[in-house]
Amino acid sequence: MLHLRPENLLVQKTLTEAWNASKAGSPLTLDRVISDFDYTTLHVSNSPDDKSILWLSIRTKAWQSVVKCGGDFAGYLKSKYNGFHAVSECSPEQGYDFTVQVKLDELDADAIVQLSLMKIHIMSYPFQLAFDEFARLSQLPEGSNASDTVHQIQYRDDENIFIKPSSDRITVIFETFFQDETDKVFGKVFLQEFVDARKRNRNIQSAPQVLFSHEPPLEAASLMAARSADKNRRFITFVLFPRHFQTPELQFSSVCHLSLFRNYFHYHIKCSKAYMHSRMRYRVDTFIKVLNRAKVDDEEEAGEQTTRRTITGRKLVY
Amino acid sequence: MSYLNNPAIVMDNGTGLTKLGFAGNDSPSWVFPTAIATAQRSTTKQGGSGSGAGQSQGSGNPYFGNSTSATSFNSLASAALLSNNLAGKRGTEDLDFYIGNEALAASQGPSYSLSYPIRHGQVENWDHMERFWENSIFKYLRTEPEDHFFLLTEPPLNPPENREQVAEIFFESFNCAGLYIAVQAVLALAASWTSSKVVDRSLTGTVIDSGDGVTHVIPVAEGYVIGSAIKNIPIAGRDITLFIQSLLRERGEEDTTLRTAERIKQEYCYVCSDIVKEFNKFDRDPQKFAQFIVENSEKTKRKVIDVGYERFLAPEIFFNPEIASSDFLTPLPTVVDQTIQACPIDVRKGLYNNIVLSGGSTMFKDFGRRLQRDLKGIVNNRIALSEHLSGTKSTGVDVQVISHRRQRNAVWFGGSLLAQTAEFKSYCHTKQDYEEIGPEIVRNFSLFNMV
Repeated sequence: MLHLRPENLLVQKTLTEAWNASKAGSPLTLDRVISDFDYTTLHVSNSPDDKSILWLSIRTKAWQSVVKCGGDFAGYLKSKYNGFHAVSECSPEQGYDFTVQVKLDELDADAIVQLSLMKIHIMSYPFQLAFDEFARLSQLPEGSNASDTVHQIQYRDDENIFIKPSSDRITVIFETFFQDETDKVFGKVFLQEFVDARKRNRNIQSAPQVLFSHEPPLEAASLMAARSADKNRRFITFVLFPRHFQTPELQFSSVCHLSLFRNYFHYHIKCSKAYMHSRMRYRVDTFIKVLNRAKVDDEEEAGEQTTRRTITGRKLVY
Repeated sequence: MSYLNNPAIVMDNGTGLTKLGFAGNDSPSWVFPTAIATAQRSTTKQGGSGSGAGQSQGSGNPYFGNSTSATSFNSLASAALLSNNLAGKRGTEDLDFYIGNEALAASQGPSYSLSYPIRHGQVENWDHMERFWENSIFKYLRTEPEDHFFLLTEPPLNPPENREQVAEIFFESFNCAGLYIAVQAVLALAASWTSSKVVDRSLTGTVIDSGDGVTHVIPVAEGYVIGSAIKNIPIAGRDITLFIQSLLRERGEEDTTLRTAERIKQEYCYVCSDIVKEFNKFDRDPQKFAQFIVENSEKTKRKVIDVGYERFLAPEIFFNPEIASSDFLTPLPTVVDQTIQACPIDVRKGLYNNIVLSGGSTMFKDFGRRLQRDLKGIVNNRIALSEHLSGTKSTGVDVQVISHRRQRNAVWFGGSLLAQTAEFKSYCHTKQDYEEIGPEIVRNFSLFNMV
């Protein structure tokens, strides 16, 4: 329960059901809305004329800003699903950002997993750009390899991720913001823990360095000069070194962890509140026990000789 | 605030099953047992329960290696501080649990113990329930509760204190954007609006809610439950399954597991209009006997099970309880009649006119028709008697039982129907309201008036 899985379980389940039903010869009629973190909505529906074709559409807050990162975003998304015959892109459904068409006859388990990772794939594009940029910069000779590219993902209303590639590292900065006072306190403890965990534990020295501040870090300061006055903002900086994104597998797992970071963080704030509540309930229970013990028993006050009991413990009333 | 565009979340936590989903969908996204498997104190003190969980998390999940698992460096602390209550733990034991089907699977092993936080429709263990919700929101629905409105359900006669507890958890732990708590029976009435028989969308009617454990007959007048008239019948889905199982055993069939009996119940049973005639029909026409084939998981062995009279006998226990039970002998139509007769006289006509079925055990073919016929008989007899005694003519009472296609998850579906309307959010209490007034705000919710 510690981790949140990158794939959307519900998409996976819905597609698997549709796939099984189609194999059994009785295709399902589907028109379902599925939700994911950060204002993401997915929609699974049948194509109007052919029941063996499903449409999977996604609408996500991050889309606009990811498109703004430039480059061939459409091509990147397409390349994620190129290997699967069952999946082909089609024009986006009304009200959604991106739609794929899924042929149930040709579907397989791998394709389902990839489809359920659709949100991660969208989020991963700016990271991929940063990885590429890093590769380019690191080839250049020392001194001429500075770059001022900063990719920005606006994944919630006023929360952003900034990704800054440079020649020896990639800096990922989360800007986050709490609606609730209690959350702010819990969040602070948590973030401090993130920063300190690496110092305290020798086993996780290979993890990315984490920094935490109230002021926007210099890497992203230029992009948010206007908002720095806000006291409620927190900035969490992850410094990724080449060992965190050497291979495609490492890249993928880094991106998964990073793009789910906010959700993970808020999930755990909520979990710790639940934990606090259970401790409070336990405490209240023990206090109530103490109070009950302190209650004066009427019968004993009245004295032994006046009350007489039957063998079953009932009181005899005269 | 862009949370206004997010679909509301509808959660129906029942005694047996939890239904989770998004408003506007036609069926719940997740249906799983309301069960939670929590880590037990490990008897061998090595490692502690925390690291065990880290391993089970890591394995089978290619994306998260175990080397940097947050649990592994907590195991030292946790082993020293083992105690039975969560409050004594200092590690990540509070996160070491599973819910739903995963909980059933995990409880097969030695290190988890299973518990059901809801008993008789009401939450018994708030610690477990809070963690159950936490996991169902983040893991299964994958939503940030701050961005969504929630519609929860409660049984009739739920004490207001329980509502307040729910509100505390949802507003304080989860910071949910808004909350509405609806009575299950009212949602079941709303679900019946999809039936073509329903002409006016009123919230007056009698709900017959038959789940796995118990059957309730609940009269609702204009959206308010008439609490004093609610009646329970201790006959429900599980009793039917057990009855089928006992019939199979008596005949000496090859496979008499509960699972088989349950599948026979779901696939073959129906309600007949007259048992004697139906027995005769079966004797004349052997086509009526069905065969049910059980295959083991590898599909190597097959067992053939005959399905005979239990096809119509099993659901018959609602109408003639004496064939299965010896302590409860009142047939369902009589109970419904008694319930309505216990209500104020001015709503009785509306209650007879709109009898709504909900729950999986009302899904038998012709269940509604039989109930309507029997009930009509009882009512007509009474009218005839009173006409005879008073000498005046009655205007008559219309008895109508409504069955519809969404019966199985009627409560959830009714919730989904109401929560997708534009007005829904104005009926909810928001986080701001809660902070202003406090938990007692949830004692009252304005009713949906959809006329």
